[in-house]
Amino acid sequence: MSTLAVLLRKELHATFTSPIGYVLAAVFLLVLGYSFSLTLFATKTANLIYIFHQMYVLSILLVPVLMMRSFAEERRADTLELLLTAPVREIWIVLAKFLAGLTLVYGIYAGALVYAVILGLYGEPDWGPIYSGCLALMLHGALLVAIGLMTSSITENQVVSAALSLGLALMLWFADSVAPLLPAPFDVVAINLSLIGHFRPMATGSVFASDIGYFVTLAMLALFLTTRWLAER
Amino acid sequence: MRAGAAGAAMSIAASAGPEAGAPAILAEALTKRYGPVTALRDLSLEIRHGEVLGLLGPNGSGKTTFIRMLAGYLAPTRGRLRICGLDVVRDALPARRRLGYVPEAAPVYGHMRVREFLAFMGRLRGLSPAELGGAVDRVVERLALGAVAHKPTRALSRGYRQRVALAQALIHEPQIVVLDEPTNGLDPRQIIEVRELVRSLAGTHTVVMSSHILAEVAKTADRVAVLLDGRLLGVRAVADTPDLEDWFLSLA
Repeated sequence: MSTLAVLLRKELHATFTSPIGYVLAAVFLLVLGYSFSLTLFATKTANLIYIFHQMYVLSILLVPVLMMRSFAEERRADTLELLLTAPVREIWIVLAKFLAGLTLVYGIYAGALVYAVILGLYGEPDWGPIYSGCLALMLHGALLVAIGLMTSSITENQVVSAALSLGLALMLWFADSVAPLLPAPFDVVAINLSLIGHFRPMATGSVFASDIGYFVTLAMLALFLTTRWLAER
Repeated sequence: MRAGAAGAAMSIAASAGPEAGAPAILAEALTKRYGPVTALRDLSLEIRHGEVLGLLGPNGSGKTTFIRMLAGYLAPTRGRLRICGLDVVRDALPARRRLGYVPEAAPVYGHMRVREFLAFMGRLRGLSPAELGGAVDRVVERLALGAVAHKPTRALSRGYRQRVALAQALIHEPQIVVLDEPTNGLDPRQIIEVRELVRSLAGTHTVVMSSHILAEVAKTADRVAVLLDGRLLGVRAVADTPDLEDWFLSLA
């Protein structure tokens, strides 16, 4: 078994034996079920655009809590010292935690697929925006998991980790709102940093390589910084 | 705990490789700074294969910093540190494969059972699936962990947790074993057991252990190195120093 597989197995075990994931999944799906029913009865349209936006907001609130334990808990319990003194590259440790976090977040998202099934059974939805919306959510989730890992790697306090992660995600969400206050070319940079600006087109059916590139680049940057911070000790 | 040769399969001669002939550990002008604070200053030390070296010094003397650099957890600010001829920074992974390490807190993963934890650490240290079962059985027997082998590690007493931490450090039969305050928090009987285990490793493994208890180091180590305020004040063979306490006081 490769080192990554050994580490991933351990991370999945830790993830699925902790109650936090189950509690947050239940909260996520309950809130979503309530708003799906409400939106469906109110709009009587067979699309998931509102649901995707609600999942976007709920993810920003819940993923930092899901990820706050990853490195912070290892630091608190001193087990990080065991991992970092084993013959293992830091990048494998980071990737294993990232993949385990992603598995949990995608697992929760998969629970929301039931809404697409309901629309398919009782309506005639346009599947294009649903597929692109799923892609948007997957990329959004991956970025939030990477940011959560990064903030967890710099502190042993889980609350501080979650707060930093939430703060970063909110700053990215509202990055474009400061654009009018900035001189060129910083206003363009602020607009292009906007999380919602790259999420919205995909959630409504328009897939651009630049939007995908935004999520992938920022997630990779967060994972790179996490690895560097682990290595700098 | 069963002392003896049961687990000491890897002899020093058998470990000869490209680094054959190099001392087990060689530190040259090793320095570690944390911002303006110098935790370790120009430490030079050679540790021979098969010997047990006790690092003695009060809290804050630099023992844990040196041990963490040996284990690869901290990088030196200046100087060089070699394990069996391998630089701990440049050849980090091969160097770590030759080393078993027990941090002071004896950390274990609370969500794992004892055998599961040992298997995880064995796999992480590069044991193949074919070697793993035998290796786990061997350390479980050697550290007398049979009674708790299927218990979750979070349910263990401090003494058993220390044994599990020692077992994970020995599972891959490392050439060098590094123990940071291995008797901290143990009762007298457990301290004797750890001491016997360390003595059983002498000759076949190089052991570096830290302690702030002079009597403990004197009973366990072949040589004693005294650290104070990040400086190495002296190194003596225990057998050649009947008045170890006087020597220590003269340094400190």
